[in-house]
Amino acid sequence: MAGRRVSKWVVAVPMALLALATVYPLVFTANVAVKTRREYVLDRFSPADALRWDNIAAAWTSVGMSRYFLNSALVVTCSVALLLLFGSMAGFALARLRFRGSSVLFLGCLAALFIPFQVIMIPLTRVMADAGLVDAYPGLVLAYVAQFLPFTVFLMTSYYSTVPAEIVDAARIDGNTVYGVFWRIMLPLGRPALLSVGVLNALFCWNDVLISLLMMPSADHRTLMVGVTSLRGQYSDDIPVFASGVLIAAVPVLVVYLFLQRQIADGVTAGATKG
Amino acid sequence: MRPAVVGPGAEEAVAEAPARRPARSSPRRSRRGSRAERLAPFVLVAPAVLIIVALRLWPLALGVNFSFTGDGDRNGTSVGLDNYLTLFGDPLFRTALRNVGLLVLLLPVAVAIPGLLATFIYLRVPGHRIYRGVYFFPAVLSPVIVGAIFNLLLAYDGPVNAVLGVVGLGPVDWLGDPDVAIFAVVGVHVWATFGMALVVFLAGFSTLDRSLLDAARVDGASLPQTVWHVIVPGLTRTIQFVFVTTMIGMLTSMFGLLYVMTNGGPEASTYLPEYYIWVQQGQFNQPALASAASTALFLIMLVVGLAQVAVLRRAGREG
Repeated sequence: MAGRRVSKWVVAVPMALLALATVYPLVFTANVAVKTRREYVLDRFSPADALRWDNIAAAWTSVGMSRYFLNSALVVTCSVALLLLFGSMAGFALARLRFRGSSVLFLGCLAALFIPFQVIMIPLTRVMADAGLVDAYPGLVLAYVAQFLPFTVFLMTSYYSTVPAEIVDAARIDGNTVYGVFWRIMLPLGRPALLSVGVLNALFCWNDVLISLLMMPSADHRTLMVGVTSLRGQYSDDIPVFASGVLIAAVPVLVVYLFLQRQIADGVTAGATKG
Repeated sequence: MRPAVVGPGAEEAVAEAPARRPARSSPRRSRRGSRAERLAPFVLVAPAVLIIVALRLWPLALGVNFSFTGDGDRNGTSVGLDNYLTLFGDPLFRTALRNVGLLVLLLPVAVAIPGLLATFIYLRVPGHRIYRGVYFFPAVLSPVIVGAIFNLLLAYDGPVNAVLGVVGLGPVDWLGDPDVAIFAVVGVHVWATFGMALVVFLAGFSTLDRSLLDAARVDGASLPQTVWHVIVPGLTRTIQFVFVTTMIGMLTSMFGLLYVMTNGGPEASTYLPEYYIWVQQGQFNQPALASAASTALFLIMLVVGLAQVAVLRRAGREG
């Protein structure tokens, strides 16, 4: 018993150090973001002597971070709304309605899940360019929807499969159309799954850089993550402003993580345990 | 909700839909039997199916086809396997492939770390409640943000080298030394993603029969014995899943890190296939060659995935 306790601490100390190594990089960046340039050059580690917001303000106004922030917010909101709508429609139909070809369609979605974006990015850019959707907000939204829809359909189908068939039958007997069942029963019932999938999709879209780089070439249309990469070039000699820009881009994600940690982990593991 | 549109072409779809039980009352008045109702499943799946077919499956087919055509002067003409020959003769692509090999070698480490940590959390080491949340949080950050943060940390005169200096080790040019840079980038990727695998492992643990662990404890099994004889066989499916997803993650989600941290350098030492595709398409304007690289990447992923599933399945049967 004593031996076990000792071995527990042998494990616990490295784990605590690792936890520190996980959190410290962000703490470091946040500290740099409120330092003056002089303070940073003299001592990188010491806590800033005062909370100053000049760097954050400079990063926000200087290279169009506010514009990029709004671009990202707009594109992510539209993408997630469409993903949830289309994903739950298809998930409900595939899980709860019998129709010819439903299993083929489900397998098709599953197959599409295993196509990485890098494999289709060149032909996809062509298809989008032919449709006049490159460098336009609807184009980027559509690219995100296409990228994350197979995952959304898959999770919504598995979620709706767990809803008892009696609920659908009862709603039908009460005189609902199929659309009524979807809109009045299934969509509200799906709220926990929609929250998980929605938060995950929002993170994926917000964090993406590759799809956005390809679909939005002009500077005005950049999303926040692409904006952060350009910030680096312009502020390579002013690290505190650069760190501020990084922090601005990370804050929404951190806030979402603090409040919806459970839902994010649920979404990640739902894919794992059902796959 | 948009009502089902019944127009030309709808007839065929109706004919294909399986006939439902005829309603007792007049079929015309029954909602169950109406044409709109029978079409409903198709209307519901239509947006998802159209988008997936048009923007994922169709581009995949286009890309494979595209990889057998020429670039530049030979644009659009069929060139057989020329692109693939060029590809495997290109030192940049060979570096990318060598780095894939390195990733495969590092993969067991990238799986073992979260696996062991999850085991300890499951066995309730002191503080186990907070570790899950703390370890997972970098996984929600964008690779761009992670890369930017580590650009600061790994700078030659940055904090990591400062710490090494205190311990008495010389500064390392993390992102400037061709022999070191790829390890630095992969290390950062592991730092950012091990929490994801950890959460999946913990979900796997929740399906494990706790009485087996108690039995092992009663029998006096040591921790390594318990891990090897109880936990590993019990979690074969989870381990398999983590292996495959970690490998896919290494092959497809390091673009942001490479783009921000090294740009493929120094001396092109940090190329991966996905970065190669991006450079060929964007900078050298060779989309057909890039498509060949895409197809090669797809095949690599297929082979790696199938091989891992096969190996682990055999291991699982022996266990």
